[in-house]
Amino acid sequence: MKPRLATPAVMTAATLTLAIVGVRAAPGLRQPSVAAAADTAFSHPEHARLFPTCVTCHEGAAVSGAELWPAPESCAACHDGTIEQTVTWTRPTAVPVTNLRFDHTNHRAVLAREEKPPAACIDCHTEAGEPWMSVHRTVRPQCLECHEIRTAHLEAPDATCATCHVPLAKAAGLPVERVRAFEAPPSHDMPDFTARGGHGLLAYGPAGVATERQVAASCATCHARDFCIQCHVDAPEQPAIQALEPDERSLVHSAALARPSSHEQPTFWETHRETVRSTPAECRTCHTQESCLTCHVVTPRAVAGMHPAGSGRGRGAQVVRKPPPTHRVDFRERHGNVAAARPETCAACHAREDCLDCHRPQAAAGGGAEYHPATFLARHPAAAYAQANTCSDCHNTQVFCASCHAQAGLVADEPLRSGFHDAKRAFIAGHGQAARQSLESCVSCHAERDCLSCHSAVRGRRFSPHGPGFDAERLRRRAPSMCAVCHGTNIPGGS
Amino acid sequence: MTARVASLLLLACSLVTPVSAQGYRLRVDSRIRSVAFRGVTPDSVPAADVVVSSTGGFETADGFAVRCRPGEAFCHYHRPGGERRGGPFVTTASLSMWGLGVAGLSARGTARVGLDVGDADVWPGTDPALQLVEGFIEYASERLTAEAGRTQVTSRLGYTGLDGAKLTFRPTPETVSAMLYGGWGLARGVALPVTSPALDPLDDFQPRDRQLIFGGTLAATFDPIRVRALYQREVDPRSDNFVSERVGIDLAVRPIRGFSFAGGADYDLAAGWLGSAEAALTFAEPRERVTVTGGVRRYRPHFDLWTIWGAFSPVPYRAGFGVLALQPHDRVRLRARGEVFEFDAAEAATPLATAERSGWRWSVGGAFVPHEQLAVDLDYHAAFGPGASSLGFEGRATWRPVQTLDLTAMVASLLRPLEFRFSESNVLLLGLDARYQLYDRVAVSFGLQHYDEERDRPDAAAFQWNQLRVTGGIRFGFGSGADSGRLPPAILRIPTRGGGQ
Repeated sequence: MKPRLATPAVMTAATLTLAIVGVRAAPGLRQPSVAAAADTAFSHPEHARLFPTCVTCHEGAAVSGAELWPAPESCAACHDGTIEQTVTWTRPTAVPVTNLRFDHTNHRAVLAREEKPPAACIDCHTEAGEPWMSVHRTVRPQCLECHEIRTAHLEAPDATCATCHVPLAKAAGLPVERVRAFEAPPSHDMPDFTARGGHGLLAYGPAGVATERQVAASCATCHARDFCIQCHVDAPEQPAIQALEPDERSLVHSAALARPSSHEQPTFWETHRETVRSTPAECRTCHTQESCLTCHVVTPRAVAGMHPAGSGRGRGAQVVRKPPPTHRVDFRERHGNVAAARPETCAACHAREDCLDCHRPQAAAGGGAEYHPATFLARHPAAAYAQANTCSDCHNTQVFCASCHAQAGLVADEPLRSGFHDAKRAFIAGHGQAARQSLESCVSCHAERDCLSCHSAVRGRRFSPHGPGFDAERLRRRAPSMCAVCHGTNIPGGS
Repeated sequence: MTARVASLLLLACSLVTPVSAQGYRLRVDSRIRSVAFRGVTPDSVPAADVVVSSTGGFETADGFAVRCRPGEAFCHYHRPGGERRGGPFVTTASLSMWGLGVAGLSARGTARVGLDVGDADVWPGTDPALQLVEGFIEYASERLTAEAGRTQVTSRLGYTGLDGAKLTFRPTPETVSAMLYGGWGLARGVALPVTSPALDPLDDFQPRDRQLIFGGTLAATFDPIRVRALYQREVDPRSDNFVSERVGIDLAVRPIRGFSFAGGADYDLAAGWLGSAEAALTFAEPRERVTVTGGVRRYRPHFDLWTIWGAFSPVPYRAGFGVLALQPHDRVRLRARGEVFEFDAAEAATPLATAERSGWRWSVGGAFVPHEQLAVDLDYHAAFGPGASSLGFEGRATWRPVQTLDLTAMVASLLRPLEFRFSESNVLLLGLDARYQLYDRVAVSFGLQHYDEERDRPDAAAFQWNQLRVTGGIRFGFGSGADSGRLPPAILRIPTRGGGQ
């Protein structure tokens, strides 16, 4: 005769039985008290013909206050050493380690309150079509089916997770290995899942309500606040993160900041200031104030609004200071226009000392300070003659060039003598072109008196030095003392 | 004595502990070098003692080429000079302090103490021993920045120093700003007043009073255009003569993605001519694999009107240039640069002696980073044109075995023929440089450079000379802030110009 499987009592008992067996059989699950109590694992199929109902052994699944586990004496009724070998069995006393919120008594009460028929044991613990006493811990699809969740387990809607699961932090006994084994739902594979519109939207739910201290149950099931703090600098300001309880076990799932696609835009460096001002909250998600100050040597208002690094916040994006795209091959030589047009841009990353390193180099700096290459001292005559470098931008030619040239014997003595420019036989007679082309080079060795010995109208030979572009009247109006050097009081055109 | 006291003061400053609630940043950079150079010594010989050389010119009996002026009893020439050794020992301290009781108020200063510990005071920049590069009180708010003290004005007219005040007003901080400044000016390119005895070792017309400087700028930013116009005048208070009066404009535009334009010009109101100007258009491929720059520029040196040089009509040169940078691989960067230039007509050429009027220069180079710890940079450059030419290469390899240590080996060569003097200088340089971050805020450096120099001439003035240069330095950084150390390595890795430097 076949057992009548449809009776409520049988179903309840079976449910409880299967639950026990399932817990023991599930990978990664351990019930030390059960394992210690029984010297062999209980095999439901081997006892299938003995027990027509589940509640024979698991009365507590159907009756409030009754024991969920069978009494050891009931096993000994057969396992007495004569009929069957003896077994050692004691009732487990530990609460099952799980993150399920399931409780047989409550489950049954809820069904009764909702005037629904009680669930049979096999509804949850035996797959359809399996023989009697084929017991599993839980047949998830059947849970989902009863609860009208028409998806795969991990694709269940956010709100439904809490139907069966407690938040990770509430599952205090769940070992780290179990947490590590949590499977990631398909939502985590979405292309923009790490972006604000991805996991953030899920965390706050479809309404995206950020003012309430709540977080989607789907997040809380597997994650705790510690997990979010791996990335979120703004964790204290995010209600959804604060709604999670701290739990270090959540760190077994590592998370790392991903560079958002906006940062890959070619103009990002140039436009990030506007981005910070228009959507500061987005920047604060990943960047600390210190992150900005890696490059910014001052604290602009936008940077001041960033959260400083501290406990309870993520370490944030680690920024490496590097030259922006504008600093291309010859930027050192060409930075003047850009720097002059908007010096505030430079000041964001450079302190004044940086400028002084080149513009006011110290005398003992090797290799021409930070600007010139190490060989420049040997090369500088050619560069100065040809004016490839605009020496006077940084150097005072009188003091810098002439003082050193004087030490080298290059400075002309009084009276002006020939002999140095010996590659041109008549250099003195025809030096005018060279002088007008590279006057800075001339004055690095020659004093005004050298030239006045010929060019002065008062005490020289009256050779006019004035060449193309010379505006006598303009100069006479602005600096008559300069004219007087050569012309004395008889300045041409003067009154 | 003064220098020693100042050194002690700087050292004491470096040990000061900041008062609570205040902020400060102090950088102390101390370096010493052993340098040497060898120039020439003017000499003369009685005209009767010179002999005709094999090339047809005159020379001394011992083979030195001489120049003899008709009618003069002596002929003149230059012998190789003696070896001059110097040991500049310079300490620079930069201090910024804030939290002085008023939000936005800060004090900044950069002072320098320099001594030449060598045989003689031969190295420029160590006289006077104590120099105040900057030292001012600053108040900064969103719309206003005011500085008082010794400060700098950076513009296309130079890095101008003054003892006075600078006021920057930003009625709309993001778009418009105006700056006014005035005070007693410093000489160009140096932190010394124009009256300093150290400033003018040659000239006879050094002003007896410091010039007064006034100026203003007006800057506007309307993306993608950034522009700044400026006016500056310097006046000699004793004579009320102008020392300079110039206007200028700088412009930077990013019209469309990938393109940028930068340019500027200045006009000398006192002399009535256009000074220097430049314009460059750059295209950078979005991933910066290819960057191309093309531009024109013009350069005319500026001379203050307390000298007579402006009246000698320096002529400008005009140049067109192009720069190409390629990054075929993440670890390889290639660069090439070329420029042709031509001087305006000087209207001074004589049949007896003419100089070249145009020239060109180019360079090619590349940087290779085989792995994170090693970087190699090579550059070959050539320049031909008026006055002097040069050919040479430079190479350096920097190895960073650990994050705190940089070891650099360098090699360079230079051939430098001169146009106006028989002298072809051949230089070979071999060098080693080490920088070590001893502690978080203390870095030391050491350098060793061997120069092998040969002056090739067709007479006895040719000589060969080798020397060893040693450099040592230590840098302290105190306080807080990202720039407490030296220039960030990333900034230092900005490639130097592709030759011609």
